[in-house]
Amino acid sequence: MSDEAKPSPGDSPGLSNGLVSDSDRRVYQAARSLHPSAVKDLLSLGVCERCVFRLVSVEPFDFDLSSVSASTLRRWLDSGDDEEAAASSEPSCSRVCIVCLGVLQFVFSDARQTMVRSDCGSDYAARITDLVKQEGHEFDSFGLEVSVPSTVMENESSVLLYLKGKYNSEGWVQSEKIISVKDALKVLVLESLKASLGAKSDSSSFHIRLTYSKASDGAQGASETTHERKKRKTDEENGSTCMSENSFQKVYEPCSLSVHCNKMPIFFSGRYFKYSRNVSQTRWIIDDERMGEASVEELIGGNILPACLGDSYKFHAAGREDIDVRMLGSGRPFLIEVQNARKCPSQQSLTEIEEKINNSEKKLVGVKDLKFIGSQCWAMMREGEAEKQKQYAALVWMARPLEEKDIDSISSLKELKILQKTPVRVLHRRSPLERERTIHWMKVEKMKGSSNYFLLHLCTQAGTYIKEFVHGDLGRTSPSMGSILGCRAEIIQLDVTDVKMGDS
Amino acid sequence: MDIQTTEVARNPETDDLIETNKQKQQEDEAKESPENRDEEEDELRSQLLSDIGELPLTPPSATQLNFVSYFITDFTKSGHDQYIYRHANGLCVIGLAPTHIAFKDEGGITNIDFNVGKSDRSVLKVSGKRKKNAMRSESNTALCKVSTANDSYIVRCCVKGSLLEVNERLIMQPQLLNSSADREGYIAIIMPRPADWTKNKESLITMEEYKEKKGVSL
Repeated sequence: MSDEAKPSPGDSPGLSNGLVSDSDRRVYQAARSLHPSAVKDLLSLGVCERCVFRLVSVEPFDFDLSSVSASTLRRWLDSGDDEEAAASSEPSCSRVCIVCLGVLQFVFSDARQTMVRSDCGSDYAARITDLVKQEGHEFDSFGLEVSVPSTVMENESSVLLYLKGKYNSEGWVQSEKIISVKDALKVLVLESLKASLGAKSDSSSFHIRLTYSKASDGAQGASETTHERKKRKTDEENGSTCMSENSFQKVYEPCSLSVHCNKMPIFFSGRYFKYSRNVSQTRWIIDDERMGEASVEELIGGNILPACLGDSYKFHAAGREDIDVRMLGSGRPFLIEVQNARKCPSQQSLTEIEEKINNSEKKLVGVKDLKFIGSQCWAMMREGEAEKQKQYAALVWMARPLEEKDIDSISSLKELKILQKTPVRVLHRRSPLERERTIHWMKVEKMKGSSNYFLLHLCTQAGTYIKEFVHGDLGRTSPSMGSILGCRAEIIQLDVTDVKMGDS
Repeated sequence: MDIQTTEVARNPETDDLIETNKQKQQEDEAKESPENRDEEEDELRSQLLSDIGELPLTPPSATQLNFVSYFITDFTKSGHDQYIYRHANGLCVIGLAPTHIAFKDEGGITNIDFNVGKSDRSVLKVSGKRKKNAMRSESNTALCKVSTANDSYIVRCCVKGSLLEVNERLIMQPQLLNSSADREGYIAIIMPRPADWTKNKESLITMEEYKEKKGVSL
């Protein structure tokens, strides 16, 4: 606030030190220009000073009002008859506004049911800042959201109805341009909040939400009870449109306020390796029992979440593999989404997390290229989805010894089209369909020590069921390894050796 | 455990030459990627091979590993023995057990017809995750009729549930029933409700009991 040294002649806001600021003077003059009997009416009904300004003033409601305390505003609004004013008004600190229920009076009850009052916008902002700091977020910009109980709107409508009924003939009641309680609060405190939080305001990824909710005693304030609404409607039908002053109940308890901070999710990307045949990709629990020893999702997410001080995480991977299939080669791309992270770990800490996972004693899972990623993360996951090819190494058994001609016939099959009916093992939860897939190439590696076993390297289209391609799934996948070799074939174990993603 | 590769046998002399040339090339170009790639491939190979354990002569089949085998004997008629392979996910694969009377006829099974009862089972169209339009069957609902040179026999569901699929390949290749009734010659897949299965199970016998009863070794 900038203070000017000279008191202005004539009307004076009457500050004790005689000094007056520009903004105060504007407010003072606006106050004196309001319709005096309407103002007196509303004040005696129990409407707070700032709401009076909102409802009755022609001037736009703005930040200037923020620094003026309610009692000062009161003084400026009261007509010259000081004695009457002093006698009739109860001390304003005990009355809660029947329209805004204390919101614009900077009064609320906190989590511990304690009444918290602030004189001016900056004081209120300081209290909000304390509550925000308790949540522990790191941020340099924020978006402010305010939510007030729906009865506030109803209260306002009732009071406007009353005003219209009483003063409509004078033609100054304008209900269209009135700023809402929510927007009014934002106007009053945003600048102060920015200053005390040390942050910019924008529609950023970090939101501060001020939620006002009705006090437990259920005082409605100005809005009508059902009984009164019915009475008014019948009155209207009978031709009388007046809203009587007696229908406004007094309010004694302000709203309770809770402050919530929420940060939009942040993402980390990387590639993971799965070295164990007893680790599932995501947490898998049947009948309260965990399947497998651990899960990739928990091993990775469980290390990232504490570094972000977040609420929870979600794991997204570009495809999946069975619990008994290892993920080797260049790893499988994944994303970790962290909800409401309080801080964003540095690349240094991410590298440390990566090393911690890779050097862990059990070596169940490995991670590579762990880094923070922005909004392009989903594009990265989608990238090359249609052209995604996967490479595998399967240990295959066949009912008769492997011969050279088998090796030749298998390697000569390029871009082999196969038809797979939905495998029996997933048929309970997937649609029964026949899916056409392509096996791009295959290579046979003999096993020394047994001619019934061989290592099959193959590169297939995304979405191919490899196990079913080898054993035929009761003939529901055709052609299969068994039909190509002309004998029964079984798959002993499977490893994923490459997940091709676009250019990486 | 060693692996033989299918590459042509390498000549030790030329090998050395190739090696030194490669090194020179790498030094000249000072490129890291081919080296890294070789290293990665080597690491991958060792990972693949180090994990291979014992190789038994005949490993368990996929059916044995993933399904629990049940049997029902003399179902509605003497000699009508069927198997019910139940997967861990609850689905049941139904088919003819090896001691089914149809196999005793000379020439085995020659034909199969799914058009029994009120509808042709082979034209049912089940769709979606919820398995819409699946026929709800009782345990004695007829699935199909198999015919041999002498006679024909009705095969029934044995399990109460939704009929998800019948093996329509059998229509063109009925001999699958003779050659591999327990795999490619399966007849149908049924999805029972958990409560129905618990009740049904009581009338079924295990593989061991079946072997004993019928005096066969499988």
